[in-house]
Parts: sequence; C-alpha cells; structure tokens
Amino acid sequence: MDLFPLLLTIKVSVVATVITVALGIVIALVLARRNFVGKNVVDALIMQPLVIPPTVLGYYLLTLLGRSSGFGRFVEDVLGVQIVFTWKGAVVAACISSLPLFIKPARAAIEGVGREVEDAARLLGKTEQQVLRTITLPLAWRGIMAGTVMAFARATGEFGATLMVAGNIPGLTQTLPVAIYDAVQIGDSGSANLMVAIITLFSFAVLYIAGRFSESKF
Amino acid sequence: MALKFNIKKSFPSFKLDLSLELSTELLVLFGPSGAGKSLTLKMISGLVTPDSGSVEVAGEKVFDSAAGVNVPVRSRRTGYLFQEYALFPHMTVEQNIAYGIGGMRAEGASARVRELLGVMRLSGLEKRYPSELSGGQKQRTALARTLATSPRILLLDEPFSALDFQVREKLRADLLNIHKLYPVTTVVVTHDLEEAFMLSERIAVMNEGRIEQFGSREEVFYRPATRNVARFVGTRNIFTGRVLSVTDSEVVIDSPAVGTVHAARHGSVTVTPGSEVVFCIRPEEIPVIRKDRTLEHRVKDNIVEGEITAITGRGTTHLLYMKTFTGQTALKVELPNHVLRKLDLATGDTVRVSLKRESIWIIG
Repeated sequence: MDLFPLLLTIKVSVVATVITVALGIVIALVLARRNFVGKNVVDALIMQPLVIPPTVLGYYLLTLLGRSSGFGRFVEDVLGVQIVFTWKGAVVAACISSLPLFIKPARAAIEGVGREVEDAARLLGKTEQQVLRTITLPLAWRGIMAGTVMAFARATGEFGATLMVAGNIPGLTQTLPVAIYDAVQIGDSGSANLMVAIITLFSFAVLYIAGRFSESKF
Repeated sequence: MALKFNIKKSFPSFKLDLSLELSTELLVLFGPSGAGKSLTLKMISGLVTPDSGSVEVAGEKVFDSAAGVNVPVRSRRTGYLFQEYALFPHMTVEQNIAYGIGGMRAEGASARVRELLGVMRLSGLEKRYPSELSGGQKQRTALARTLATSPRILLLDEPFSALDFQVREKLRADLLNIHKLYPVTTVVVTHDLEEAFMLSERIAVMNEGRIEQFGSREEVFYRPATRNVARFVGTRNIFTGRVLSVTDSEVVIDSPAVGTVHAARHGSVTVTPGSEVVFCIRPEEIPVIRKDRTLEHRVKDNIVEGEITAITGRGTTHLLYMKTFTGQTALKVELPNHVLRKLDLATGDTVRVSLKRESIWIIG
C-alpha cells in the first residue's frame, strides 16, 4: 500500500485542526459572550458546512480561491501562495468543514460557564485575559477538547470539498478518503479494504475519546 | 472607608434613581423582588454601568458620568457575594480563597488563607472542591475568598437566601462578627424582614428603583413613611379615613373600615380637618379584650367589634381575620399561641379589640 495518502491525510488534518481550534475558540467566545446585530446570520453562515453538500462548499472555495477571483489572484500574486490544487487547498477545505463541529460544543461549553463565576474573578481584580485563561477556558475545557477531537475526525474524513479544491493528484493532493474512492474505481479491493479499516478504527477511537471528554467532572 | 453614590439607570419598563451616603457601617437594603436592589449593587461594583451619576468608594471616584470616569471592575476592590456563591468549581477551597491574592504560591498567601479558614470555620476543608461542600460552607468560602483581597467595600446580594433556616441564622451571626473584625462599609441586600432586622440598625427600604425610607429599624417598622413601606414591613392593617378634628396631641379619624378612631399625633405629618389620611396599625399591636371583661367608658381605646372569619397559624403566633361590624373590613390581629389558647376563640365568634391610640400610625 502506498503510504502517501495516509501521511498526507495526517498532515492535512493536524494543520487544519490547529487552525480550526485557534479560529474556533475566538468565534465561539464571540458567539457565546457578545451580542451584535447579525449574530444569527453569522451563526448560520458558520454552520453551513454541516448542511450544504460538500461539493457545493468545494465549488465555492474553488471559485473564491482560484485565479478567476480577485481574492484568489491576490493570495497567489501578492502573498505568493497557491492554494487550489495543492495540499493547502485540502487544509482549507478541512478547516471550513470542521469549524462548525468544533464551534458547537465549544460554544455550548463557554456558555455553560456561569456569568457570575467570571464576574467573581473580575471582582477579585483579574483582567479579561486572566479571567479567560484561569476561569473560562479551564471550565470549558471538556467541550473544547470534545470539539477538537470532532474537528480532527471531520478533517480526516473530508472528501467532497477536498476533491473540488485540492483535486485528486496521486502523490501530491490525494488524501486517504480520495485514495479509497480511486482504489474502488480501479477494483483494487485489497488497498481499499485496508484503508477503510484504518479509517473505521480511527473514527471509532475518536468518538470514544470525545465521549470520555464530555463526561463532566464538576 | 465610606461609600457614597448617586446613580440613575433607565430600562424600558423600569427606572432606578437613588443616592446614599454611608460610613463604615453595615447597611441593609431591604425591599421586594424587582425593587432594583441587586441592580444597585451591580452598579456600585461596576458590573453594570449606570446611565448617569457617580460612585465614590473610600474617597476615590470610581464612576462619574459627568467627568467620564469609569474605573474597571477589577480595580475597584469591591468585595461581592453572590446569592449562588459563584465559587470556581475547578479549584479547591484554598485555591478559591487564594485566587484573588495571586494563588497559593504567592508570598504570604498560605498564611492569609489559613487565617481566613480559621475565621470562617473552614479548617479541614481546604482540599475540598465546591461540589463537596454544603451551602453554608460554600458561602463561607465565598466570603473568605473576597475578604482575602482586603476589599474597600463589601456588597452582599441576598447572600443567605439559598440556605436553610438554621444555616442562615449562623451565617448572619458570622457576618456581624466579620464586620466587627474587618470593619468595612457593607451593604446587604435582602427581601427578608427578619434578616434585615438582625443585621442592621439602619435600613434603607427600596421599591421600584427608589429608596422610600431610610432610617432606624424602629422607624421603618413602627413609623413607615409610605404605604408601601408599611406593607413591606408587615403592617397588615392599612386604612384610609377622613380627619374629623385635630388637637395638639390627637387626631380623630373617621374611616369606613374601623369607624371613628383617636390616634396620637406626631410631628412629621400635617393633617387638617377634612383631609384624607392613610393610617396603619400592626397586627401584633392589637390586643383582644376578653369576653367576660366589662367595658369601662374609655373611648380613647378605640374599641372595634367584629366577627372572626378565619384563624391561621403562623408558627409561634396565630393570625385572626376579623370582619368589623362598622366597615366589613378584614382587620388582622396577631396573637401569640398561648394568648389565643387562653382566650378560647374560634371562627364565628364575636370579638372586641382595642386599637390603642399610640399604636396607630398616621402615614399621611
């Protein structure tokens, strides 16, 4: 079996998860703690990847990040980064798809941290950053971890959007789910079975770990 | 250290406007729920920003809308106690107490924590998590946590109302003890009259965002300034009547409820014959005249006759509901249980009670 798809999948998932968590915590905090006009719209937009067909999502990303759009040209010409049909495209697809899966439990966990508990810390002389670091995040930790695990799993299994944005270039952008599709298409059931087994085992482990995290201690 | 404030805040259906000046004392802010008591504490502490006004803590202006001053919550050094404790669930008792002074590893923290554990009767519980504490222990931990930071003022928002009766009694005593030990300006919010009485000599009665009366507990209790205050402190007999005559010491009032009564005159209201007045009498201030006792001719005793329509137990006392013959009004009379037993009264009996002239208070 060619190990490239597995290694690429791990690389893409790890990078995507790091970005998703960093971005997701900020978004989850804003959604949980701030009220602003259009909050529902923002919320609905972020949750889109959960309901929209992955190919549609991929199409949007392809259009936005490709050379045909101003933004795509800007990223490529000015920043010198090519996203479409590279592994970075797979990262972007994985990020966007996994973001809602991270935000949902993270936001719920942050909202679950009582307002008064945070106020108590402020009254004891703590700055907003200190409150966040010593109270809010530690108390929301389980939800954030559960979200991280879910986001990682989603990134690993991303197929549709990845295919659209990163393509299916063996040895370059072919991730495990895409490789499974290819193996089935050419009738290589040996490789397909092995890869399917890996993904299945992995998914089960992820859900088990996520379940352990969501058990509350306090 | 003193506290001085004058704050205004408007909501679509609620307006708060009050000002107070306190020295190093313990003041009770008493009133029904929805009066704006908690909101007042939140504005003093900075958790809620007033629309306008100023707050001065220990001589420092921490809020002044005119000068654009609004010191952040963290810099005000306000001790605050929440009704639901707001302990940090992921920290032990000692970590909670040390939180505001830089944690257990900070210099001097462990000595300070040990001292407060002792004062608050928490020794032995330092390694427990809040979920392993009783309600009373939680609130004592919260109090220790806030005292650790040496606050300049102490604000307590219905601190004992989530606790059961005996724990509450004990914690009130603790609080008075703490106030003696660490004398800082303390404001306790409560809707519990008994608590208000036990904690403070002076009570500010709040209603609908304003202070209706600010005075000693005797004043508030026996000489309510408004009809609402009379209601809140349990003066269950509040009537309106017309003034018939006024002398230096006495006002004669004719009321549909209890007929013509003679009331002692006090300086704080001006009454003129013909004007309408509100007057009240506390139910426990009304003696029942024994059935076998013949009435001497003493008009000033304001004898009122009526029929008992109901008797309800209230723990150590009973409340008689008496329909007066003059006004068909329910006059409420509260009697200690042993008195009721001796008088041998039952629903349907006719009784005579005396509204003593000194017990009648003319609200105005």
